[in-house]
Amino acid sequence: MSDDPREKLKSCLLNLDKNGLLQAVQAVVAEANPEAAQDAVDALAEGLQIVGRRFQEGEWFLGELVYTGELAKEAMGQLSPLLKSSGAESKGTVVIGTVAGDLHDLGKNIFGNYAASAGFEIVDLGVGVAVEDFARAAREHQPVALGMSCLLTVCAGSVGKVIEELSRQGLREALKVIIGGAALTEEFAKDVGADAFAPDAVTGTDIIRAWSCE
Amino acid sequence: MNFKERMLTAMNHEEPDRVPVMGLIMDPATVTQVLGKNATNVVKLLDKPVVGRAVRKLLDSNRFWDRMYFKNFSGALESATRLGFDANWAIYAFMQVYKGETKEEGTALNDVFGRVWTMGTDDRGNLSVDYSQALCPTEAGWDRWVEEKSALFDQVIRNATSFHQKLVDAHGDEIMPIGYAAPGIFENSWQAIGFVDFTKLVYENPQFIKRVVEFQTNFYLRYLEGVMQSGVEIVLGGDDLGQKTGPLMRPDLIEKLYGESYRRVADLVHSYGRKFVFHSCGKIYQFLDRFVDWGFDGIITMEPTADMDLKRVREQVGHKLVLIGNLDVSHLLVKGTRGEVDAAVKKAIQDAARGGGYILSAAHSHPYVDATRLRWMVESAHEHGRYPIHSS
Repeated sequence: MSDDPREKLKSCLLNLDKNGLLQAVQAVVAEANPEAAQDAVDALAEGLQIVGRRFQEGEWFLGELVYTGELAKEAMGQLSPLLKSSGAESKGTVVIGTVAGDLHDLGKNIFGNYAASAGFEIVDLGVGVAVEDFARAAREHQPVALGMSCLLTVCAGSVGKVIEELSRQGLREALKVIIGGAALTEEFAKDVGADAFAPDAVTGTDIIRAWSCE
Repeated sequence: MNFKERMLTAMNHEEPDRVPVMGLIMDPATVTQVLGKNATNVVKLLDKPVVGRAVRKLLDSNRFWDRMYFKNFSGALESATRLGFDANWAIYAFMQVYKGETKEEGTALNDVFGRVWTMGTDDRGNLSVDYSQALCPTEAGWDRWVEEKSALFDQVIRNATSFHQKLVDAHGDEIMPIGYAAPGIFENSWQAIGFVDFTKLVYENPQFIKRVVEFQTNFYLRYLEGVMQSGVEIVLGGDDLGQKTGPLMRPDLIEKLYGESYRRVADLVHSYGRKFVFHSCGKIYQFLDRFVDWGFDGIITMEPTADMDLKRVREQVGHKLVLIGNLDVSHLLVKGTRGEVDAAVKKAIQDAARGGGYILSAAHSHPYVDATRLRWMVESAHEHGRYPIHSS
């Protein structure tokens, strides 16, 4: 294995080697150097992008996506205090939640992990989120994007209602809306006026990353 | 041919008189629409102080679930018979009022496997019961749960046996009740633990996961035996291995963890002279060859919204698997036009029905699936499904 700490972090992540990864993170934390910590975070983000590519190409599966996301979250948890003290810049806030009536959170949580690793601040409203709570969070956190997840066909109507409420309160223009989940499709996204449909969490992260570069 | 001969002929990859049609009716909303009976809204009753207490007590009793499931699926089978289906599935589950701390205390249930199900109503007022929480995220928690609930596991098997038996006795002369043994070994393994924690444990504590799989396999085999004692001739095993864009877990890993279990399931069902059909949602092309290898007789679902194309599935597996399903429930059977339903039925029959081995059905069910569209589906199947099937 390479001696380069960045390569080591990436390689441990891609080999699902939790012990190796946490040892490498500990070595970075021991340095107490914000620049080294930022390098480590960048390495993890690169690793997750590789995981994402493998997932999109059908080489890797949801289980691996979830596990690497959890490993990265644990590593980031140890590195982030160093980053905060260095004033590292966020790519913006993303508010996420599963719509009212739907309690599924797996896709939303994976998206949250990946988006956080890509440099976004995540405000996770949880599951079964009411229309007015999405609107309140949009007003309070002024996010660059709002993500809604919906797995149940019978709850899909809530997605459109949230977008209508954002428009009614004059909040829609200031943010992008991204939606995903088994009950939703590209066509549905167009019908309800969302900016994007993400078939999976990795694509979703790619989309908001692209938005942040616009 | 009668409904039973038609179903069994298709299950043997022979051509019956016409393509059989199977119903996945289960939601009270659909039953209400067909039979004109109003379903009781349990969630609304829970809000009433005195009645609510009585309902909670009922929800905690074995007798209630026994009667409620029978009543519900008796209605489903009657509805399916009226709509002209040859068969309909029947699913049994046993719940208790969940007494853990949740903000919706009193509206959550737990099953015997360690899942919490939250009751609610959708925006049309239909009752919805959705998996919402795993109760055994750790090894110690799972061991404690299984020990505490050991008597209930036997109860569930007894209930499921009597549930299917009563349905066969009450409806077996008019329609084929399809025994549905679900959730399956994979779902029962991970859903009590939670997918994130389960995934971590697969990599970090494989010995524990092996124990969980062994426990669930042994339970499932006993459950299947119970269902088969009722006289059902086709057994469905529900175990979602896929999600919208692909398998939930690496197929090699599923083979390693569950392959032997699934082989034992198929062997057991065949030892009773019955057929085993596997239900899995999601995009599952990568499992099709394994299903054949594990000894399954057929598969049901093939969701178009997960990119499952019936023609491609038939090309991949030939006549090694009976195919059931594929009609869309996101638009087609919810608000599709008669022309759209007719075209979809015609296409499905063209894609998969030659030589037998295809049973027309919706890909899934939910409360918004419309009974009128189901009737159109059956009528179109009768019109276009006469054997021999000619090219359109």
